[in-house]
Amino acid sequence: MKLFKARLLSLLLDLALWTYLLYSGFTLHYLMTRWRVWEPEAKFIAPTLPGWGWAFVVWGILELVLLTRAFGPSLGQRILGVWLVSESGSPPSFSQRWAYFLFAHLGILSLGIIVFLAPEHPRYERWAGVRLAPLPPPGSGAFRRRWYLTAYGISAFLFVGMTLALGWRLTEIDLQNLVRRASRSIRIWRGLINPDFRYLFTPDPRIKLSFIDGLVQSLYMALLATVAGTAVAFPLSFVGARNIMARGPLGWLVYSFTRGFFNVFRAVESVYWASIFAIWVGFGPFAGSMALFIHTIAALGKLFSEQVEHIDPGPVEAVTATGANLLQVVRYAVVPQVIPQFLAFTLYRWDINLRMATVVALVGGGGIGRLLFEYKDDLQWSLVGGVIILFMITVWIMDYVSGWVRERIT
Amino acid sequence: MPHLVVEKLTKVYERGKVRALSNVSFSVEKGEFLVLIGLSGSGKSTLLRCINRLVEPTSGRVFLNGLELTQLSPRAMRKIRRKIGMVFQQFNLVKRATVLQNVLAGRLGYNPTLPTLLGRFPKRDILRAQECLARVGLLDKMYMRADQLSGGQQQRVGIARALMQEPELLLADEPVSALDPATSHSVMQYIEQINKEDGVTVIASLHFLSLARRYGQRIIALKSGEIVFDGLPEAIDDQKFKEIYGEEAEEVEVR
Ligand SMILES: Nc1ncnc2c1ncn2[C@@H]1O[C@H](COP(=O)(O)OP(=O)(O)OP(=O)(O)O)[C@@H](O)[C@H]1O
Ligand SMILES: [Mg+2]
Repeated sequence: MKLFKARLLSLLLDLALWTYLLYSGFTLHYLMTRWRVWEPEAKFIAPTLPGWGWAFVVWGILELVLLTRAFGPSLGQRILGVWLVSESGSPPSFSQRWAYFLFAHLGILSLGIIVFLAPEHPRYERWAGVRLAPLPPPGSGAFRRRWYLTAYGISAFLFVGMTLALGWRLTEIDLQNLVRRASRSIRIWRGLINPDFRYLFTPDPRIKLSFIDGLVQSLYMALLATVAGTAVAFPLSFVGARNIMARGPLGWLVYSFTRGFFNVFRAVESVYWASIFAIWVGFGPFAGSMALFIHTIAALGKLFSEQVEHIDPGPVEAVTATGANLLQVVRYAVVPQVIPQFLAFTLYRWDINLRMATVVALVGGGGIGRLLFEYKDDLQWSLVGGVIILFMITVWIMDYVSGWVRERIT
Repeated sequence: MPHLVVEKLTKVYERGKVRALSNVSFSVEKGEFLVLIGLSGSGKSTLLRCINRLVEPTSGRVFLNGLELTQLSPRAMRKIRRKIGMVFQQFNLVKRATVLQNVLAGRLGYNPTLPTLLGRFPKRDILRAQECLARVGLLDKMYMRADQLSGGQQQRVGIARALMQEPELLLADEPVSALDPATSHSVMQYIEQINKEDGVTVIASLHFLSLARRYGQRIIALKSGEIVFDGLPEAIDDQKFKEIYGEEAEEVEVR
């Protein structure tokens, strides 16, 4: 039954691989022809073929797959750890491989029925005098050719190469513009190296905020979000730890739910939360703090509960054996083991939150980031430079201090 | 009435489908010092943990003072666990906590949840902790972090933690396997003292037959989850020994 599964799965893998290669080949070809005639609206395409053309494509893929499997191991076979050998166990001869290639068509023409008749050793393999066998361990000298000359080596190269090539086009990488249009950015650089600290202490009359006001606002946004987020994440992290909760179906449900909550809320970046809260509670630092707060709960909750799952189970066992209840076990056997890491994560999170506090301003989160984006929109690059330098100094100091503290406690 | 009765105890670990115990039955009198021996993997730890239900038995029954432990609710089981002390091979102390905190943990089952969550214990528990530490000769180490102690000292803290429970039964799972021979004896003597002076019933699993002979009043040998010997230490002769430990084994002495 095991070989049957490996045969089926490796076939599916090979089919997927060659479909992808063929598709990316189409796309690449199309893009290549467009390389010189740049038509921005025709960037993403699906290959256009008449209906019967697709039948040929599918057929072509099947042939390629069978070919790589016969002269394999193919990538799918390799990943599932099987390869073809002759009945005697040695690598098949050239004619046996061709025979396998031809007879294997029967497997597909019969829609796999021939395989199900003898799942471990289908008839077409027997006719070709070969069978599927587990791959020998690497370095046992069973492979005659170098790995990059085999079917799986070549298809792996093709896979990586195609993916990178497609990525290059799809992200619209354009080295020409990077150089040709460099002069446009000169004004910005000039502003940045001539920073303007006019509004360092005196509020900008238009925005009604000085740099320092903004910075302090951001610092406290980050601080509050971190403290409140940690306070919520701390108790939740035990609920989201398998070794604490997964004792019975109800506990398992609560555990899965908590973990799911962490994962979902963590996947939504702070910026999106900020745009939600900017509408909910109005523009300003409160919306920003709420965004950071929610994201902190999820991110710290996940980190914390992973830490709880990695504790030494011995003390838990020992304290349970004294007749303590679950809360007491957590307090006396788990918490002392995780506190230093929790503190380190929290400090680290403050760092992150301070940086994020500027970004959430983009969608109305308030703080020093607000100044940054206002000045950017007005093309006041010297003021932008001033804000950035002030912010960089702050982050450096924070980094240094929290790094120093973290080193102390772990 | 025997103190502890184990009846047809069977444990099958779902993961790996291991039959760690099959149909194990025996009983222990009050104040007895019973030693479990057997090769690694013979099921000694599983047996001990089935008694206080750290491991849930697959079938079979366990009685303590005639009360069936195997059908108690979790809450009732916690109450009973207070009377069953346990000592572990790896000591299982909270390494970052102080010795005193580790010992006080033995008292958790007797105290209401809220104060203990805040780290508060009644005065008499703290006095008792000092007594217990004095008994194992570690009173001066009270405020040290547990991981600053030597192995033997850590195991004595483990014993003090068990003593805090005022146990009537002490389960010791290879209490000296991580220690050198001289320290082993000193730790075993503390356990023996608890057995003799306080009348606590002791069930200890031990690796070395020589230790088992020296401290056990009675020996039960396990092999692949079954009892292959149950009797007095003197009754284990060469042939019995080979039966328990396998043909190639040779007896070594721990002095
Ligand atoms: N949590 C578990 N899950 C699955 N199998 C387990 C588990 N714990 C123990 N076993 C298996 O049960 C059998 C008995 O293990 P047990 O730990 O009780 O033996 P032991 O006599 O205490 O051995 P040792 O001297 O090594 O401590 C072993 O085969 C072991 O692999
Ligand atoms: Mg064991």
